[in-house]
Amino acid sequence: MSRALQKYLDQVILYANRKEEDAAKIRTELEDHLRQKTADLAAQGLPREDAVFQALEDHGHPRTIGYGLRKGFALCDIRTEGTARGFVAIGPRAVGIIAFGNIAIGLFAFGNLAIGALAFGALAIAGLLSIGGISLAPLGAAVGLAAVGQGAFGMIACGGLAVGLRVPWAIDGVSLLSGENGLQFLQHFQTHEGTVALIGITLWLFLVVPVLNGVMCSIKKNEYLRIQKADSKLIE
Amino acid sequence: MTRLSKQTLDGNVETLILAVLETGPSYGYAIVKELNERAEGILQLGEGTIYPVLYRLEDKKLIAARWRLAENGRQRKYYRLISKGHKALATNRRQWQMLSAAMGKVLGSAQNLLPKPQVKGATI
Repeated sequence: MSRALQKYLDQVILYANRKEEDAAKIRTELEDHLRQKTADLAAQGLPREDAVFQALEDHGHPRTIGYGLRKGFALCDIRTEGTARGFVAIGPRAVGIIAFGNIAIGLFAFGNLAIGALAFGALAIAGLLSIGGISLAPLGAAVGLAAVGQGAFGMIACGGLAVGLRVPWAIDGVSLLSGENGLQFLQHFQTHEGTVALIGITLWLFLVVPVLNGVMCSIKKNEYLRIQKADSKLIE
Repeated sequence: MTRLSKQTLDGNVETLILAVLETGPSYGYAIVKELNERAEGILQLGEGTIYPVLYRLEDKKLIAARWRLAENGRQRKYYRLISKGHKALATNRRQWQMLSAAMGKVLGSAQNLLPKPQVKGATI
């Protein structure tokens, strides 16, 4: 059988990233489909090689098919295209317990647009804690250039307890611009709870986030390398 | 020929596959052929895209699968509809009939939806 067909199946299986036993079954099923399609096209008068290429074209891009054949909610789903779903999900769009992507939705979400219980991103929307450029946490703490939350810390901060350079619509607002309010800002962290919160946020910003970011980038790189090692033409 | 967009098809392929399997057990390639024949070329699915859907339906226990030796001597996976799948198909079919009736009432009959031929040089 054509090398093109075998190569196509290799690519599908590579992207599907399933257990060996499952992969073998998927391969058998797809191969049967493609062989039969090729035979049908050849019977219609198409030259054998053309029939193979036509069958492969009609079947769809191996990446699309392979990603589609991944498990519904894997332990770790890393993709270079589409939506990753898993306990740890990494991809252009990611949905998972820990989600990392351009658009990330999860318990812990990291991304340009991050939505989650804890969200970190350019636009971060969170239930408990959001950290980002524009940070929204209607029920929790928001830290960002513009922050809105029960506790809001940022250049522009709006919320129950808002600390920032500009604090519109805040119930208990503190502006760092004014000297008196600057003292009030310090007073907020003189309590035990305030200190714990401050330490937590600092740790998050300077320790947890970069470490997690590094881990995620490393996992993503490994996925690229895995695909590149199997077929360098797949990564351009 | 105008084909349906992916967005329109998304979520409905499951129902289409269930409908094909309603007539009896079948396998991937035959399902695709049957779908294309019944839809008279309007659907034009990427053939490989039905496998993720078939596996999803299997996970949802709407269909069951069994490997059998085919007439060409190769192992082939046959899918068949099971009771939960029959119920799901009946529900989806009812919903489609309702939606189709509602769309028809709002948009007009299918005949009215076809683009009208343009007359060149016509003046008002």
